[in-house]
Amino acid sequence: MSRTQQATPPRTLADQLRRWPDERLLGLLRSRPDLATPAPHDSAQLASRAATRSSIQRALDGLDRLELSVLDALVVAGQTSRDEIVSLVHADAGRTRRALDRLLDLALAWEAPGGLRALSGVAECLRGGVASGVSGLRPASTDRPDDETVRARLESVSPAARALLEHLDAHGGEGTTGSARRTVTPAEATTPVEELIAHRLLLPRESGTLLLPGEVGLALRGGRTTREPQDVVPELATTSRPVELVERTAAGAAFEFVRRVELVLDHWGLAPPAVLRGGGLGVRDLRLLARELHVDEPAAGLIVEVASAAGLLAEGVDAEGDACWLPTDTFDVWAGQATAERWASVARAWLDSTRLTSLIGTRDAQGRAWNALAPDLSGVLAPEARRMALEALATLSPGEALATGTGTPSLVARVVWQRPRRPGFRADLVAAAVDEAAALGLTGAGALSEAGRALLAGDVGAAAAAIGPHLPSPVDHVLLQADLTAVAPGPLETEVARSLHLVADVESRGGATVYRFTPGSVRRAFDAGWSAAEVHEFVTSVSRTPVPQPLSYLVDDVSRTFGTVRVGHAEAFLRADDEAALTELLHHPKAASLGLRRIAPTVLVSTTPVDLLLPRLRELGAAPVVEAADGTVRVARRDLLRARRPRERRTPAAAAAREEATVTSVVSAVRAGDRVADSRPQAPATTTTPSGALAALREAVEAGDTVVIGYVDNQGSSGDRVVDPIRVEGGQLTAHDHRSDDTRTFAVHRITSVRTVG
Amino acid sequence: MNDGPLIVQSDKTLLLEVDHPAAADCRKAIAPFAELERSPEHVHTYRLTPLGLWNARAAGHDAEQVVDALLTWSRYAVPHALLVDVAETMGRYGRLRLEKHPVHGLVLVSSDRPVLEEVLRAKRVQGMIGDRLDDDTVVVHASERGNLKQALLKLGWPAEDFAGYVDGEAHPIALAEDGWSLRPYQSEAAESFWHGGSGVVVLPCGAGKTIVGAAAMAHAAATTLILVTNTVSARQWKDELVRRTSLTPEEIGEYSGSVKEIRPVTIATYQVMTTRRKGVYSHLELLDARDWGLIVYDEVHLLPAPIFRMTADLQARRRLGLTATLVREDGREGEVFSLIGPKRYDAPWKDIEAQGWIAPADCVEVRVSLPEGERIAYATAEPEERYRLAACTHHKIDVVRRLVAQHSSQPTLVIGQYIDQLDELAELLDAPVIKGETPVKERQRLFDAFRSGEVSLLVVSKVANFSIDLPSAEVAIQVSGSFGSRQEEAQRLGRLLRPKTEGRTAHFYTVVARDTVDADFAQNRQRFLAEQGYAYRIIDSDDLPV
Repeated sequence: MSRTQQATPPRTLADQLRRWPDERLLGLLRSRPDLATPAPHDSAQLASRAATRSSIQRALDGLDRLELSVLDALVVAGQTSRDEIVSLVHADAGRTRRALDRLLDLALAWEAPGGLRALSGVAECLRGGVASGVSGLRPASTDRPDDETVRARLESVSPAARALLEHLDAHGGEGTTGSARRTVTPAEATTPVEELIAHRLLLPRESGTLLLPGEVGLALRGGRTTREPQDVVPELATTSRPVELVERTAAGAAFEFVRRVELVLDHWGLAPPAVLRGGGLGVRDLRLLARELHVDEPAAGLIVEVASAAGLLAEGVDAEGDACWLPTDTFDVWAGQATAERWASVARAWLDSTRLTSLIGTRDAQGRAWNALAPDLSGVLAPEARRMALEALATLSPGEALATGTGTPSLVARVVWQRPRRPGFRADLVAAAVDEAAALGLTGAGALSEAGRALLAGDVGAAAAAIGPHLPSPVDHVLLQADLTAVAPGPLETEVARSLHLVADVESRGGATVYRFTPGSVRRAFDAGWSAAEVHEFVTSVSRTPVPQPLSYLVDDVSRTFGTVRVGHAEAFLRADDEAALTELLHHPKAASLGLRRIAPTVLVSTTPVDLLLPRLRELGAAPVVEAADGTVRVARRDLLRARRPRERRTPAAAAAREEATVTSVVSAVRAGDRVADSRPQAPATTTTPSGALAALREAVEAGDTVVIGYVDNQGSSGDRVVDPIRVEGGQLTAHDHRSDDTRTFAVHRITSVRTVG
Repeated sequence: MNDGPLIVQSDKTLLLEVDHPAAADCRKAIAPFAELERSPEHVHTYRLTPLGLWNARAAGHDAEQVVDALLTWSRYAVPHALLVDVAETMGRYGRLRLEKHPVHGLVLVSSDRPVLEEVLRAKRVQGMIGDRLDDDTVVVHASERGNLKQALLKLGWPAEDFAGYVDGEAHPIALAEDGWSLRPYQSEAAESFWHGGSGVVVLPCGAGKTIVGAAAMAHAAATTLILVTNTVSARQWKDELVRRTSLTPEEIGEYSGSVKEIRPVTIATYQVMTTRRKGVYSHLELLDARDWGLIVYDEVHLLPAPIFRMTADLQARRRLGLTATLVREDGREGEVFSLIGPKRYDAPWKDIEAQGWIAPADCVEVRVSLPEGERIAYATAEPEERYRLAACTHHKIDVVRRLVAQHSSQPTLVIGQYIDQLDELAELLDAPVIKGETPVKERQRLFDAFRSGEVSLLVVSKVANFSIDLPSAEVAIQVSGSFGSRQEEAQRLGRLLRPKTEGRTAHFYTVVARDTVDADFAQNRQRFLAEQGYAYRIIDSDDLPV
């Protein structure tokens, strides 16, 4: 391999991209989607975009430890051959080659005529330690001696110097010269530092620092960039679990999850929690929900987040017009589907959701607690972390599952190897994803279920089909008991469940549901329009066991007292001890319009207000007195009517002036608008050059003309203004603006056009 | 999907479908660790509680067994969180052990150092512990053995007590099985207790708890102190012991308000033990009067708080608790667990009933409508007066009369809360009445007469609730009670659950005033009975034969 500088200028990355077949280019754009938006004009632009720092960072974030360490080796070696890279990286040759190919495909490295090289921006973007594939070696010097020479020099130095070198290598490869002379021969060297400088094992720099060149570091590390092998993928800690158990546990969790989502949304449809001012769900509401669902708060947070991600829950407005969390119309469709399909759709939503559900309840850097459903509780890494966790699980063979305790940390280690950059945050996300997948029933007992596999492959239908047989099948009956409970020994069919919800209260939930009949719950059914016979009929029809006598008795007992007290509207009541007098009034032909109704022998009610009723009753020959609210008779003397003097808020003159001003400003705005419209057809706006605009404005100042200027405002939108220019100086136009009827300044560079108005 | 009889709910209740073919096996598997909460006709409800799980640990079951039982019998997938919780809770028991150290006496030993560190830092443990012997061992003041156990239970790290017991003063006691023999469950209960050292035996009323006590005394063969609820009960214990064991009346002493005898077997009442004179418990010396080898607590669920405190100092003696229910209205189940000991034996009522030891019962609630005038009086009464008004309605008396007439040939008890009402009833029914002011001697005479059949109708107040054996009662009519206490209900029903000749059914009537708090309280009672699996009917008083 030639180490001399290329005589001919190297072909560019753009050149290389130009020569790539379409598929390879497509592959690149797929792996680095940020290069494609907005669409680059040509390969040159594509290449320059690929070399920007932010794009490189993003590409590096997607590399595994081996790939990063191959890239690092490329940076250390400078321009080099494929074989040399393979020898430099402490890893299996085949894997290194594959990693190298991937780097080329990602355009993070390219094949210059002088050999492979990393993109120029890569070096400064490589950060972190060996765990992130970064060796910490400096690039080899351009005039590097061959390996033999370096090794020979290393062997010739004293042990003290060697130890110093090792220390420098382990601590960043940089030191200060101190009192050491910078130009010495081996013979003159008196200290280890000077000895190393003399042997060109440390290179002094102008700034007074000493650098350990890459080739020396390589030699120290035995010819490789790292001492540790870089291709050891962490093993998952596993244990064996029967497939049947995995499927059952997963399906059990899936069923519970779907049921809870439905429960939350059913509940919130009636009593929605408020949306916090900053968005999100209040801590108290979450706590209440957790208690209601018999889960802890993080689990409740996951449920609402997934419901929201699946589009089943969204912000809405309650009866008072306040913002609240409500089930969406999609929920109604969803609720009608089979459990398996419902599960598949929420699980899919979770898999793709960017929500950082695991942060709920934790505090951010400012010490504020994260609320569930908070708008900014999301991150692009979340879906990736979930997929990586599940994909790692998918590599296990059936019957193998993550070991209890050690399983999750091993999975996290695996993912961290695959994506070493930003490991802390990612590790948390992966650990959370494992827990969430178990809660959602994608995994059971530490292994991916069949349905989970299908979902990961993107096949929602297959996922639903796979989980279906493992879900508890719906039952259509309950067991009624003498303690007034009804036990549904499984998930109830929707219709039965809804009716039962009406007539009984839920006492315990889970695989089965325990309902309790109480006078209150039975009354609720009556309120909803059921009759006692219907309630009897319903409980008889859904019960597989005879209806216990106390339950029948309860229903009858509630029906006995139901409606004992009647409530209605009336404007006035008439009461008299003389029943005959009331009967006479009721049947009086002229009383028909009074809306009288008898509610007791001695009481009539009327739909007519008292003040109208009173004179009419007198006309009919009755002699009524008015009763006050406390039952005492109110003397029917007519009140003298008086109005309250209206309070004057403003003097009439001020009000008039204000009104006048408002009208004037409206008119001037309208006139200004008119003039813009008028001038437009005759003189279409032409973008004048800045100097032209200045000239035109100066002209208008001189002439005292009114002009229409095209002006781009602070929001970036351009519009026409009708102004009378007053002066132009310092890049500012001062002018009287017709629309606001005020003097304003305009930045000249924002004026796109100037034209005079007729 | 499994077709098991058990459904595990997320709120830690277990539903057992009774009619399932595998229900009996499943019940056996879960009974050691789950508390039976309700047993109505079709689906029994068990609950997993920390105390229940620790009781299971104390009986030698481990988390693996519990999880396995749940997984084996559950119809649906068991919530993972629940399994984790079970394992965690059970793992807490026994990390700390109380042991006897040859040099330092009582020590607390831990197999888990962080746990020991945690409890040693807890405030409520301060002052009970002495020097640290090594990383895992710390000296405990001998006097604090009970208090420490109580404190550790509250901290969630219940200690296992291996410190052993003193043998006490030996005294030969043997069962005299002439013409009768221990029922299998009675001897099982006594065995379980003896092997466990100390603890509680849970048996329904009428299942022969006294005999379990006698069997335990025979095991101990040592001087015994028996604590019972009241004097009548004390006399019953004495008679029973004389009849069932080799003990003679001279060997058994009564220590009560009227008599203060201390003999090898002494029966004391809770009341005398908790009597205070000038702020001090004046009869505490009884506890040290002899070197007791065994202490028996009758009706543990009624044990008053001062006795708990005294018990804390008696940790070196074997303690046997006898009760029909571990449910305490005051929620002090944890103190029973830590001071007397874990549950050693338990048998569901219905099982024992099915074995023919207790009578089946027919429970009927009779609803009485208040007449107009009383309804208005009720509606306008002060809240605290309402119950009394409703419970004592005059209409109930007529209903009671009709019920008594209906069962005229059967021994009947009429039970009530309010003395005026009882007096009125007694007069009308021409029956003797037993109330608080009735002298013990008179009470004894009446109970004896009732037992022998001389008197077939008794009107009793709540003094008869506990520990008075009236096996011949076939009908009980309850006219008022103390605000629907579940425990009271169990006791009253217990009066009737003694085995009947010819397997006759016992009748249990509750007369309540419709649409009042009386009916609301009755609802609690009804629920309790139905939960215990008794058939329960509600009828209107008008439907009764006149």
